[in-house]
Amino acid sequence: MSEATPRPLLVVGAGIAGITAAIEAAEAGRDVVLLEREASIGGRVLQLHHYFPKLCPPSCGMEINTRRLERNPRVRVLTRSELKAAQNGTVTIRQAPAYVNDRCTACGKCSEVCPAKVKDPHNLGMSEAPAIRLPHPNAWPYRYVLDREACPDGCRACVDACTYDAIDLEAKEREETLEPAAVVVATGWHAYPLDRLPELGGGTLPNVISNVQMERLASKSGPTGGTIQRPSDGEAPKRVAFVQCAGSRDHNHLPYCSAVCCLGSFKQALYVKEQDPEAEVTIYYIDRRAFGRNEDILARLSEEKGVRLLKGKVGQVKAGDGGGLKLKAEDVEAGRLIEDQADLVVLATGMVPNLKDGVLPLGLERDDDGFGLDDTRARVAGVARRPADVATCVRDATGAAARALASGRA
Amino acid sequence: MTRHGRVVAEGSVKKLAPRLLMPVDVPTEYSGNVAQGSAPGVNKMASTSALISSPDFRQEVLRRGGETAARCYQCATCSAVCELAPAEAPFPRRQMLWTQWGLVDRLAADPSVWLCHQCNDCTTHCPRDARPGDILQVVRGLVVEGLAFPQALGRLVANARTTWPILFGVPLLFWIALLGAMGQLQSPADFHAYDQIVPHVVLYSVFFPLSGLVMLAAFVSGWRYWRMMGVAAPRAKSFLSGIWATGVDIATHKRFGKCGTARFRRLGHLLLFWGFVGAAVTSGLLIVAIYLQGYELPLPLLHPYKLLGNVSAVALVVGAGILVVVRITDRDRAGASNAFDSFFATVVGLVIATGILVELARVFNPEVPVAAVGLYVLHLGVVTTLFVTFPYSKFAHMLYRTLAMVHEQAAAPPSGG
Repeated sequence: MSEATPRPLLVVGAGIAGITAAIEAAEAGRDVVLLEREASIGGRVLQLHHYFPKLCPPSCGMEINTRRLERNPRVRVLTRSELKAAQNGTVTIRQAPAYVNDRCTACGKCSEVCPAKVKDPHNLGMSEAPAIRLPHPNAWPYRYVLDREACPDGCRACVDACTYDAIDLEAKEREETLEPAAVVVATGWHAYPLDRLPELGGGTLPNVISNVQMERLASKSGPTGGTIQRPSDGEAPKRVAFVQCAGSRDHNHLPYCSAVCCLGSFKQALYVKEQDPEAEVTIYYIDRRAFGRNEDILARLSEEKGVRLLKGKVGQVKAGDGGGLKLKAEDVEAGRLIEDQADLVVLATGMVPNLKDGVLPLGLERDDDGFGLDDTRARVAGVARRPADVATCVRDATGAAARALASGRA
Repeated sequence: MTRHGRVVAEGSVKKLAPRLLMPVDVPTEYSGNVAQGSAPGVNKMASTSALISSPDFRQEVLRRGGETAARCYQCATCSAVCELAPAEAPFPRRQMLWTQWGLVDRLAADPSVWLCHQCNDCTTHCPRDARPGDILQVVRGLVVEGLAFPQALGRLVANARTTWPILFGVPLLFWIALLGAMGQLQSPADFHAYDQIVPHVVLYSVFFPLSGLVMLAAFVSGWRYWRMMGVAAPRAKSFLSGIWATGVDIATHKRFGKCGTARFRRLGHLLLFWGFVGAAVTSGLLIVAIYLQGYELPLPLLHPYKLLGNVSAVALVVGAGILVVVRITDRDRAGASNAFDSFFATVVGLVIATGILVELARVFNPEVPVAAVGLYVLHLGVVTTLFVTFPYSKFAHMLYRTLAMVHEQAAAPPSGG
């Protein structure tokens, strides 16, 4: 690093992996540009109620990271930004309009007067929020965001309410080009869509939810304030069924194993039991995959009363009586068909890499499933590389940062 | 005598069949019963082991296109989506495992293999594309071959992909030789009825003994199968107790109707089934017409017997047509075709086609009796093929599926609903 200003390292995606890679590289003395598609950083982890390995709320781990990020002048964070194109080492970044600028103090007056409601994406559509709102309590930057497309024609209610002149309804998108020395791609994932699983009631039955929605239901900042209840009538479910490999390891859907959904359901079974020790939980599985030390949680779960681990994938979920659900499966160990009742069904859906449809910078390639493959100047970290838990993503990101530093020196 | 255990080289099927199913690891008490009526040598291979797999069997499954069985990871989606699987003995998840492990005794004695109507819901939903519907069809072919009596004929039909010239040719040559020897292979003057070519007494003296032999062969195979099922899962009730309900089910194809997605195939099969029944009844009625009622053949076109025959023919054609269309247009639902399917389909198709052409040739083209004679001999040939191969071709599903359904009825608890 004898040069005056070496070209920066570009990190795409500011979830737990991207943030880690950016901080590690910056703390090693490198200039970093960190891109985030959303208005605030943190990614999927902030939607979790508790995360592995210690089952603590993600806000604490994330707070440490944002502190490190804030204090480090070498990291330039661009939110609302995506790669538009990449050619010969030059990338074009498109930044969506800043309808709310950095004069925002998050006082909340705009939200109070906003007449438009949207399905809150942070709560995965399970609640409504004003079109102008704080994305979530842990938002960084701590600033409001406007869903401009939801604005009624000619409405300027928020602009009039804002005393800080922080809202500009005419803001334009901007572009910039960058010639990064190296790239770390950490674009993360989204859950496999529920509505692709109609035979399991996905998208058709209100009380069939996904595992990521369950995290929001259990979270204090979630749509129910942390009470697990079934969407149709708000009742606390007495019988909860977890359907593992819903659309995973399946050539009709995602052919691969998403690695974390078994543990995710084990963890969520404990959420249910914590809220209602009398609740009956059944986990329908093909295999119980609790890797490494995480096997402890499986042991813990096996000792819980009222938790049943049943080998046999659910073939059908149908509407039963009074909002209830009927599940059909084979109890493989007993060799019989069973038709079980449940109040709430959680489908353990897998992870789809966002990279599947995104722009690929600097000669990066992806495999048949859309996961990124390393190149000499482009490294892939986190779930963009392969399905993984948070701890693995963090280790991954540190390694990717180190390799990017080395290869990006030229 | 050596037991199973050697992998048989590809192509040497001859050595395979006798140990394909029965002898591998049957409990002793039943091997004795079965062996008495079975091919020589078979009983010597009985063992007391409860769980022995046969590599030969697995080789055979592969050879017949069952390679997808290896993909199964036992998730049990197939059993859960099957509309036919009984709650206490669901299939086909277990059968997939048995096939992977080569547990031939279990497969052979399992009624589920035949209770499946291959609607292929399992194949459609299978996350691994292991195609359980097709695998069960392969297993059914192996069961038919393994229980065949005499074994040599079973093998011959099982290898129809290469032996079809024999299967079609020998019966045809037989008729040509017989009629030639009788001096009947010439255009009759004033042609008006087929008994001018083949006197009915000749038909009887060929088909009656032949039917007897075929029924004997089918009986031996059916008996073996019945015993095997009974030992594997003792029945609460007798054969007769289940026969009525099974008969009603077969007549209406009620069970088949539960395969919601196989609606058109069921309709086609129902028409084909009743077409065959109608054709068989017509044959019987014709004998009545000739000998008891003193009619002269051919009957007038509007005679009730003739009408029954022609309605049956229409049912056969429409039914077969539906099945062919389903097979062509919906490959996933119809399942993969193998020699077991296509040989039987060809025989049935030829019987229907030649049968109808024979009638048309006489009615519309009596001036060219040569065509009629040729078609008639061809028809007799393929009918004979159909007859002789009945216990060994896919036609044998009539035998085995019926027995499996009766077994299920007899095994059901008295309250069963």
